Amino acid sequence: MLERSHIQSTGFHNIGPVGARTGFEVRIRQPNYRSSRLSLIEGVDLVIDGVEYPAEQSRIRVGEREYSHAEMAEETVVRLYVGTFFTVIVPKVGGLAPGVHHVASSIRFRHPYFPPEFQPVFVRDARHATIILP
Amino acid sequence: MSAFKYGVSLYSYTEDLGTVMSLEDAFDHVAGTGSTGIEILGETSIPTYPEPTSAWLDNWFALLDRYQLEPTNMAAWVDTRITIGRNMSAEEGAAQIAQDLRLAHRLGFKFLRPKFGVIDGDLTPDPIWQPAVERNLDLAHQLGIVILPEIHSPTPIRHPVTDAYIAFIERTGTKNFGLMIDTGIFQDRPLNKWGGGETDEIRKAALSFLNGIKVPVEHLVDVIKYVPFIQAKFHHIDETLHDHHIPWDRIVPMLKKLGYAGYLSSEYEGARDPWVSIEQVRRQHALIRKLEAEYDAAHGGNIHA
Repeated sequence: MLERSHIQSTGFHNIGPVGARTGFEVRIRQPNYRSSRLSLIEGVDLVIDGVEYPAEQSRIRVGEREYSHAEMAEETVVRLYVGTFFTVIVPKVGGLAPGVHHVASSIRFRHPYFPPEFQPVFVRDARHATIILP
Repeated sequence: MSAFKYGVSLYSYTEDLGTVMSLEDAFDHVAGTGSTGIEILGETSIPTYPEPTSAWLDNWFALLDRYQLEPTNMAAWVDTRITIGRNMSAEEGAAQIAQDLRLAHRLGFKFLRPKFGVIDGDLTPDPIWQPAVERNLDLAHQLGIVILPEIHSPTPIRHPVTDAYIAFIERTGTKNFGLMIDTGIFQDRPLNKWGGGETDEIRKAALSFLNGIKVPVEHLVDVIKYVPFIQAKFHHIDETLHDHHIPWDRIVPMLKKLGYAGYLSSEYEGARDPWVSIEQVRRQHALIRKLEAEYDAAHGGNIHA
């Protein structure tokens, strides 16, 4: 089963060729009490060691499929289910240094049954997580 | 004397389900309260919603049989503001409800709670709710399901939203649409913890309703004939069986006096630390059963164990 923390330990790693990393990934548990159409998630903002990585620059992977921020906004059929995770893919030349990082996530949920002035709702989490390989 | 039926909504186990609790664990905990009914959230409990796999269906019916539970209500959503730029049409809303009615029927449920998107701070549902539901009244009748929007804080009983639902029932004469009371409307003391989605923005902006909208239990008299199902919302019950927010000592006698004989389906919405919800649900069942037995004893009725 998944960790209670939204940000998962496993899945936090660099991507791209060794020596020429192109970015990193963060695995996040779907934290809402019901599944959400991707169109109801306005994005996931990350802050790693104080550096902001806004949702608009990232991609999201659900299962085998990747979505840009714009593609997510129009995806009304594919859902994120309770008890599952999704992955935020962040471009960053060189990736992150091996070691322990402070990772904060803020998911922008849009709940149509909340009054318009309370949308989106920011669901936040933060923890230490470890990059093993450069 | 009429007796309550007791059930549990799996919403109570939010955050535990999928991290420290499986669906079968949840069945075990619900059955362990002595409940006869189980309530699910379709999009939450069915991993491939809206189309369960045959393996999931087999497991669902096996669990119902093993734990001797009947499906009560299935919660569903009509996500009216489906994208940033577009709202659902009435046709799309009707299709969503039809899909959920058929799914609920396949799983054995008798009630469907659609939660409609809202258009303002008064929680006025998107106007498509009425044509979307009306197009499904015949289907609901064929399937033997009652569609129940919830009367949920901050919307009280005496409110235009509730009035509109009742006007719809009266106009159509339907038996397949009613009201679900969420007992959070009776909350009369402030919340300091709120399960599922509390955020700084909500707290600041907000939501004065977290202090409780304090609907008088006497207002149930106005609507009880439209209420076949109640979600027994609560937030914290201590080890002396004192509920810190919901006045069960007034709610239970009023429901008994009104002859309510439907389900009280526990909906715990408190601290989400692991496994806390299991004990909280058990305390609520102990508390409400005690109050029911006391009422029955005082009025010469049966004592329900």
